Amino acid sequence: MPPARDVIAHRGDDDEVCPVCKSSRYLNPDMRFLINPECYHKMCESCVDRIFSSGPANCPVAGCHKTLRKNRFRKQTFEDINVEREVDIRRRVMHILNRREEEFDSKRAYDDFLEQREEIIANLVHGTDVAKTESDLQKYASENMRSIRANQAIEAQEASSFREQQTQEQELARLRREAVRQEYENERREIMAGREDVLSRLAAGRPADAAAIAREGQKVLLKKSSARRSEEERIRQKQAALRNSDVKKSGPGAVSSSDKADDLGGSSLIKGLKKIKTPEPEKPYDPFMGYVPEKRDYYTLRDYYPNTYLDPVRQDTRMQAGGYDLQEYYSRTLMEAFAGLGCFIDEEISQRDIANASDISGPVATKGAAMAAVSSAGTPDASS
Amino acid sequence: MIEDDFYRSSSQFRLWSFTEPSLKSQRATTNAVASDRVRAALHRAQEARRSANSSAAGTPAPGGDADNKPVEEKPIDCLTPEEEQQVLNYYCEQIIQLGDAYKPPLPTIVRATAIQYLRRFYLTNSPMTYHPKQIMPCVVFLATKTDNYYLSLRQFAEGVPSTTAEEIIAPEYIVMQSLRFTFDVRHPFRGLEGGIMELRAIAEGQGQPAPHTRTQTPEDLKRGLMGIAPSPSPSPTPTLNDRISRAHHDTREILKYAAQTTDAYFLYTPSQIWLAALRLADRPLAEYYLDTKLGGPGTQQQQKENPFYALRTKLLATLANCAAMLESYQPLSSNQDQMKTLRRIIGKKLYHCQNPEKANLSGQKRIPAAAAAATTTTATAGGGESGTSESEMERLAKKRKLESDQKRKQSANDLFGGELVMQRTKEKQAE
Repeated sequence: MPPARDVIAHRGDDDEVCPVCKSSRYLNPDMRFLINPECYHKMCESCVDRIFSSGPANCPVAGCHKTLRKNRFRKQTFEDINVEREVDIRRRVMHILNRREEEFDSKRAYDDFLEQREEIIANLVHGTDVAKTESDLQKYASENMRSIRANQAIEAQEASSFREQQTQEQELARLRREAVRQEYENERREIMAGREDVLSRLAAGRPADAAAIAREGQKVLLKKSSARRSEEERIRQKQAALRNSDVKKSGPGAVSSSDKADDLGGSSLIKGLKKIKTPEPEKPYDPFMGYVPEKRDYYTLRDYYPNTYLDPVRQDTRMQAGGYDLQEYYSRTLMEAFAGLGCFIDEEISQRDIANASDISGPVATKGAAMAAVSSAGTPDASS
Repeated sequence: MIEDDFYRSSSQFRLWSFTEPSLKSQRATTNAVASDRVRAALHRAQEARRSANSSAAGTPAPGGDADNKPVEEKPIDCLTPEEEQQVLNYYCEQIIQLGDAYKPPLPTIVRATAIQYLRRFYLTNSPMTYHPKQIMPCVVFLATKTDNYYLSLRQFAEGVPSTTAEEIIAPEYIVMQSLRFTFDVRHPFRGLEGGIMELRAIAEGQGQPAPHTRTQTPEDLKRGLMGIAPSPSPSPTPTLNDRISRAHHDTREILKYAAQTTDAYFLYTPSQIWLAALRLADRPLAEYYLDTKLGGPGTQQQQKENPFYALRTKLLATLANCAAMLESYQPLSSNQDQMKTLRRIIGKKLYHCQNPEKANLSGQKRIPAAAAAATTTTATAGGGESGTSESEMERLAKKRKLESDQKRKQSANDLFGGELVMQRTKEKQAE
């Protein structure tokens, strides 16, 4: 299936020949070879144009009956066509089996997963059990569509943030280099200027002063350079501090929570995945804790009850003016009429007493607790 | 039933509801503790007197011992729990009479509250420790305050014969403490008004069916009410309205007297009490009214369909018990024999077994610190169980404080405090 090794070994040579149309590079220096990941048979660009322009067609290489499409043809990246093929397979499998380490229970489970993935890749590369492996892979892909997508998104995000960071670092390095260069330049210029100054003073001054002037010039130079150095030191420290804070800022941002919404136990292919705990949806806040404000079980409240005693109140403006509402009276009296009708004290209280007794004597069966029980049952006579 | 949950949250249900055995054992314990302390206190008093005598005589002679021996041997005759109950009932009636002494008379509800305070007070205290004569005016005065019926202390003291204002409020703090600072008493009176109000509405064809028996129309209800058995009372009433009015009146009378002087408030809920009283006054009416709420007796088939059938049977049994209790009540004044024994109990026996250390309440009144100091001194003097209970109280207070501190700390650890909803539901469960 793969083309002869020696052909590839001499790739780029003038006598390289397209296996399909037999035209050689000697005749056509611009000739480019393309491959199709379907069968990895190499052919020149013009052959691809010629054969596959009008739609899918069989591979022209004798004995290979694969149907190829033009858009799948691409340039060969690796010299060895086997490596090329393995990289393709690896890419495809990794694309599907893209579980992340944080999705596993333990490091061990993750390592198992990695090994399994390598095994699948090796199977596909070396052609053992291809049909079964492929079907497993397809099944897994269709079952875990969502998590695969989510992980892909995370990967893409990570890659882009990594790139960003990279460019940022490069930019910083460039700036630093620039600054250092600038500094060097300044220093050099100053030294030159100082030297010139000393020379001019020596030229203008008397010979007796020569030694003093030279010493002075030296001193000035030293002072300047030390001042500059301390200044530089200060700036450098500041920059370092800035960099640190930058790193800190980007540190926690890189950790992104992965979305593991689906597939609990659905992936039979991969073992040791963390059980996904979907947090319970928060219940809406209920200020009445289950009570419905206007709901009653024993009676239905009316707007009006005939009552000779209460009827005058309706008409009495003195009562109405203060905000007195007969409705309040109705609801209160009826509520009190039925509040506790279904409470059977002999049952409920005895149950409560039993519960209380077991509560108290259970955990702390001390004398003090017994005393507390007595006093909580209400014997001020004994305690006051 | 939602209404029942409302009642379950009341302090009357949580703290002041008892089963019959627990009520009895509570009273027995109170009586036993009080008797012991009375004996100890009387003993101490004798000792003190004797030592005072002997020091006055200046001769620790054997003759002194011989003098005291017969006194010591004479057993102190304490009240039994039953006698205590009689005393208590007597003073409950006294409260009702005291209410009439004012102009205008005290409202029924104030008297009823006062009676319930008195009954609750003597659940954990014995008449031997605190004489009801001292406590009674105090609870009535307290009831005027908690029931929002304002009387000044001076005005109030005028109605109570042969006491001063000081004496009336002297035991107030002790009373409030024994009431565990729960002043809410759920009375059946307002519930009765509500029930009668609804019955009248039904009689006029304006009745509203209960939420669970939606099928009934106001006309059905009215027809049902017309069709009930005639009232068993001797003088038949011409109209339905008169019948309801009479039932109303009779029930109210029962609630005013019988419900107050029995243990009904401890054993039953207010709505059960008023329905039981209505059942006594006019049984067909009460049963019909209950059927409109919980469905009638019906056939076997209907019973199965009725979701309240179990509740109804249980409720009818409870009402029957409650009614029997209310019916068993007889006013003390009507029974001459009983009055005579009572006079003997209160006049003689109670006088002899009164705890001398608690007699003067105005001395240790109101200021709890002073009262506590007084009890600690007596405790150190007498030693024994009062001392331990005192330290017990301190220990409990400390424990409470610790617990609340811990709770606060826990909520402080949380950035935004604890979970609101979870906490509440937990508390609810704990209840």
